[in-house]
Amino acid sequence: MTADTLPTTDPGSIRRPNEELPQKIGQLSPSWIAFFIAMSVITAVGIYAYLLQINNGLIVTGLRGLGSMAGATWGLYVAYYVYFIGVSFAGITVAALIRIFRIEKLEPVARIGELLTVVSLILGALAIMADLEHPWRAIVNLFQYGRPQSPFFGTFTMVIAGYLFASLVYLYVTSRRDAAILAEHDSRFKGLYRILAAGYTDTREQRRTDRQVTFWLAITILPMLVIAHSTVGFVFGLQTGRPGWFGALQAPGFVVLAGVSGIGNLIMLAAIVRSATRTKGRITLDAFAWLGKLLLGLLITYLYFTAVEILTITYQPGATELNLSEALLEGTYAWIFWGAIVALVAAAALLTWQALTRRWSITVVFATGVLVNIGAVAKRYLIVVPSQTHGQLLPYSTGTYTPNWVEWAIIIGLFALGALMIGAFMKIFPIVPLEETDSP
Amino acid sequence: MRKIVTTLMILVGFGLMVLSYTALGTPQCNTSVACSNPRVAFAAGIFVVGIVVAFSSAIFYSVYKGPR
Repeated sequence: MTADTLPTTDPGSIRRPNEELPQKIGQLSPSWIAFFIAMSVITAVGIYAYLLQINNGLIVTGLRGLGSMAGATWGLYVAYYVYFIGVSFAGITVAALIRIFRIEKLEPVARIGELLTVVSLILGALAIMADLEHPWRAIVNLFQYGRPQSPFFGTFTMVIAGYLFASLVYLYVTSRRDAAILAEHDSRFKGLYRILAAGYTDTREQRRTDRQVTFWLAITILPMLVIAHSTVGFVFGLQTGRPGWFGALQAPGFVVLAGVSGIGNLIMLAAIVRSATRTKGRITLDAFAWLGKLLLGLLITYLYFTAVEILTITYQPGATELNLSEALLEGTYAWIFWGAIVALVAAAALLTWQALTRRWSITVVFATGVLVNIGAVAKRYLIVVPSQTHGQLLPYSTGTYTPNWVEWAIIIGLFALGALMIGAFMKIFPIVPLEETDSP
Repeated sequence: MRKIVTTLMILVGFGLMVLSYTALGTPQCNTSVACSNPRVAFAAGIFVVGIVVAFSSAIFYSVYKGPR
């Protein structure tokens, strides 16, 4: 240990060759094996459904052309693409709160959020690929013909490429110290940890450098996050010929609902990780209370946007807007719309009650995470589908769309793939950052 | 050395993004079908490369151990 190296609280803890890795890393219990098998089977069913779609085309799904085919060309895949991209909001938001506002109580959930961001962005990219009949063409054509005038250019460059890469860099930089600590153990992952640590030495200067890097990354990624989520909103909000989509509230609405679904997912995942990795002493009630307050602020803002949206489309609607608002409020989509409103309002009420009484419960906060995600998925579906089936400006009959088993199998397969990625990460690397007192 | 290379990476990366968006992708032209393709093929790819270079500077700054 050089003079510049930070001392450890327990000198004997520097080398622990026969000691188990923390947070059950590398340990495969029967319940974990069952989880991996179950998720692998569900993912395999999703892959089978996707291969069926690739071989036969989108005719095997519930998607049909607009107008003369009276269907919807964007359905479940696009709704979940928007949802997954929204979930990615969590990681960098929490990281920025920690770095910029110094909310250290959220430190233990930071890596969970960063991982959630990376995984959800990958799932978002896969969901939009599932919507394309010839995905390989899109991979080349997006690079070759992407135009800055198109909101898809922003979605592709900012969200899929920029936001994902920046999040991976952030995840890596914040993980090097833990990799260096774990590289001191004799484990099957030792080589991987050494590569990831890349010569990390726990000196004051290195820590200062890492603080600088993560601070500036958070500062840089935060506006990118707002731009990225706004461009997804612009994909819908800039289409003048599509009642229900065209509107200035789409972009801010997308950003805020992204925050709601992202923080809601982070709450759920943090609670699961807390139980699964025996880190109850690290992920405290205070962290959930902070996340709950953040979720409440975003939720109230989104409910305000929703109220404004309803008032606008029902105040003096044109014929098409009237058709659309009737379908939403009392017709085909009413059960989804009011179900979403009930879920979001119930979550807001539960969070408000806890904030007012200052008595937070992890179980109740977890329940609000579930509720807001049900609401978010429903709202994403309602943004994508009704305008296509009930928002025709041309004299076509009202359309219908019902997702079939192929679409559901692919989407559920994507969720299972995400669970597999997070589960595999937890078995290889600490999902909760190691304690300050641990040192390489 | 570390600061110079990091700054260069950020400038080059940001420069590629600006170049791709303003010069190569023809954002000033949106009234003609002739403008439907970017002026230079793979302009979007160049934008992505810019992002990768700019954000890789964070890894370089964190990992670099040579002379300062």
